[in-house]
Amino acid sequence: MTLMRVGVFGGGSFGVALAKASARGGHVVKLHSRRDPFQGVARPERLDVVSDPAQLADCDLIFLATPSVHVEEVAVSLGRHLDGRHYVVHVSRGLVGDALEPVSHVLRRLTPVRRIGCLAGPISVASLADGEPGGGIVGTEFPEVADAVRDAIGGPSLRLYQTEDLVGCETSSALVGLLALALGYAVEMGFGPSTRAVLMTRGMAEAGRVGVSLGGEERTFAGMAGFGDLLSAVAGDERPEVRLGRAVARGLSLDAAAKEASAYVEGVVIARRIQRHAARKNIDVPISESMADLLEGKTSPSEALAKLMSRKVRRE
Amino acid sequence: MPTPSRALKRLLTKPLRLPHLRSYVPKHDDPPIFAFNGERDDIVREVVRRMEDRCVEERLQLDYVLNEVAYEEIRRLEQQRDDEAKESLGFWKSSVRKIGKMSEHERKELFRTICERMSKDIAGNFDPRVYAIATRAVPHLLTGIMKPGSLPDDLMHLGSGHIPVDDLLRVEGSTDQLRALAKRGTLVFVPTHSSNLDSVALGYALMRENLPPVVYGAGKNLFTNPIVSFFMHNLGAYRVDRRVRAALYKDALKAYSTVMIERGYHSLFFPGGTRSRSGMVEKKLKLGLAGTAVEAFARNRTRGLHRPVFFVPTTINYGLVLEAETLVEDWLKESGRARYIIDDDEFSQIDRWVAFFRKLAAVESACVIRFGPPIDPFGNRVDGEGRSQSVDGRTIDAGSYVMKRGVACLDTRRDAAYTRELGQVIADAYGRETVLMATQIVSHVLFRRLVKETPGVDLFGRLRHRGEIGMRREELHAELGVVLDRLREMSDRGEVHLSERSRTWKPDALVDRVMKAFVGYHRKTILTEQDGMVVIEDPTLCLYYQNRLNAYAERIAGDAHLPQAREIARLG
Repeated sequence: MTLMRVGVFGGGSFGVALAKASARGGHVVKLHSRRDPFQGVARPERLDVVSDPAQLADCDLIFLATPSVHVEEVAVSLGRHLDGRHYVVHVSRGLVGDALEPVSHVLRRLTPVRRIGCLAGPISVASLADGEPGGGIVGTEFPEVADAVRDAIGGPSLRLYQTEDLVGCETSSALVGLLALALGYAVEMGFGPSTRAVLMTRGMAEAGRVGVSLGGEERTFAGMAGFGDLLSAVAGDERPEVRLGRAVARGLSLDAAAKEASAYVEGVVIARRIQRHAARKNIDVPISESMADLLEGKTSPSEALAKLMSRKVRRE
Repeated sequence: MPTPSRALKRLLTKPLRLPHLRSYVPKHDDPPIFAFNGERDDIVREVVRRMEDRCVEERLQLDYVLNEVAYEEIRRLEQQRDDEAKESLGFWKSSVRKIGKMSEHERKELFRTICERMSKDIAGNFDPRVYAIATRAVPHLLTGIMKPGSLPDDLMHLGSGHIPVDDLLRVEGSTDQLRALAKRGTLVFVPTHSSNLDSVALGYALMRENLPPVVYGAGKNLFTNPIVSFFMHNLGAYRVDRRVRAALYKDALKAYSTVMIERGYHSLFFPGGTRSRSGMVEKKLKLGLAGTAVEAFARNRTRGLHRPVFFVPTTINYGLVLEAETLVEDWLKESGRARYIIDDDEFSQIDRWVAFFRKLAAVESACVIRFGPPIDPFGNRVDGEGRSQSVDGRTIDAGSYVMKRGVACLDTRRDAAYTRELGQVIADAYGRETVLMATQIVSHVLFRRLVKETPGVDLFGRLRHRGEIGMRREELHAELGVVLDRLREMSDRGEVHLSERSRTWKPDALVDRVMKAFVGYHRKTILTEQDGMVVIEDPTLCLYYQNRLNAYAERIAGDAHLPQAREIARLG
């Protein structure tokens, strides 16, 4: 293992966990955050909090932990200080704009960085911060990027796999986010395990279709970035998406629900965009469509369910 | 005993060179290729050494590699049954019998012999005298084909006066910048590919624009014409035999190309690999050999040599395509792969050439070559001095992309990833740099009507509507007018380019010109006019020409034509 300079952009819970895990591995870490997340708590050794993106310029590897809505803005302000040396790995669960542009494409478009990756899968704050055995996946075409991520945060308790299907990895991650929201909704509505299983399995089939239309490979959806991640939500990791789905099902407005989930959830805005994209590409996405209608209050749960159940059953 | 004519043919198709009485003394400002012959043997040795190194690095088992190449070669030669087979089949058959009993040392020897044979077969030649002849004679020869009557007169005035071919070939784009960059690094031209004429046209354009000559991997099938073979061979073209399936041969080609670019030889690759069968602008590029430029750049950097590589996305645009009929049929049969090498297309028939050039002389500038802004191997634009520019306008070091923790290094998988991304960047550039010709635009408007009149019918069904569907002149002019307006707006925004006439002419004049251009060149009539109705006589060729507009179809269609435009866009 080589010691590196690791940068983390974004001081949310995941960003902080990544920074801590890297510092624990002996790397020199700079965390870019507007506010100091360590106020009142002990700041780990070798970890600095910085407020100017220029200070990340001397890092070898930079994790980008910002919501996809801010990605373009961040890419511009951070990209100014980067070049071909840097590796940038994002952890976003979003796709950008109506064209559902993967975050990696935005980074390529707006920065000179080419060695880009995406960290996805059932990797949790707990597995990063407390060393609970777990795993995840790095989507990148560049072997050195995957190696750097393993060096930074991997270890005996965190298994990090690699796929070259970066776009597949990013779309899986985004669509699992939406499915986790649907799961929370279904749980709160009182649907049992078998109903949830049908919803999740067909949801993944739908996710695969969307992923392929965006240039991903279907098998990525069956792996760590897709089913691996979804199983963690189903097994009850109580991730923000699930909490938000439950809150919406209880009849809370989206804003109130987001507050309760205490996190920015990408899935809320993505459902409608997926449905529009699918219409353009002639792809069937009944679950995303129902979720979009439900979240916008255009349909009731019973109507949505009736609509989903009345669809013609075909070969799997 | 070979018959005399056969012996002559064999002699002619062998790489023929002029005798060397005294060696060429290079001048200070000669392009690197002028020194090629002096380096040739050295390059072949280097290629062989790389192939040997690779074998060691990847821990390949020699007996396996040797058996594979022998098996593939025997299979190919037994099918070919030509002179080459007579010469080489024995070598391979005796080799394959011995491999199993050979010592490791003997296997290494055999491996080296094979690598040498391959590299020598690939390596080209460059004769400055032939280049000088070509510089002066080619424009006149082309002119001669187009206007045979003016030839004697022309020959009297070699090198002076007006050459009609100059009106036919138009060169646009970043030529000034390219002339400057040629002195600072290695240019790698990556053009679209629609005709075998491409390499000739591009070679001539480089000559005329005072850009350096390039080395180019030409299909061995092009070397069967003795005159073409003589010029290609002596102007630095290297031979690519697509019939050879052995993996080792591909390694040899890649190693050769890498060494050439490393040494600063400006190069030309068609990243689509083969001529576009459908007439569409290539969208998915594999880059293949062009990818070796990324490795060459990285290898130079690891040796501390700062020799930049500049990729030049180029579009070659024709009003009429010589081989259109064969190509589009091939596409429709979806047998493009199987018939990778078409030997009997229009390119090999001299009467088609004559008809083609006569026709071109009558149409608008027959061929437009457009050089897009040059980029580094990582997709960044470069400035006038060849420095890579980031999107926010900073100068960045292209070498930083091949560094790992501060040190430049080699990595095959990394370079493959860069190459894939570069393919996307070049394909996007093609979209912006394509120059749309009047024949293509008029065909698009007519084909869109065909789609509208045949709802729910599949492509093949539509192509059967011969001579049934057309548009009244006024309608055609009106729709064409709208399409032209939109294309002109797109062209102002830099999303596409238009040929001179498409940019300025009125729809009615444009339709007249296109109707005339189409008549008499292709064996089939594409459009006819009866009682003020322009009718699609041959929907297949109409499709071929309109395919150039597929990527723009939705953007130029109004709401009324959007469904048809979507259908057309989905063809791509």
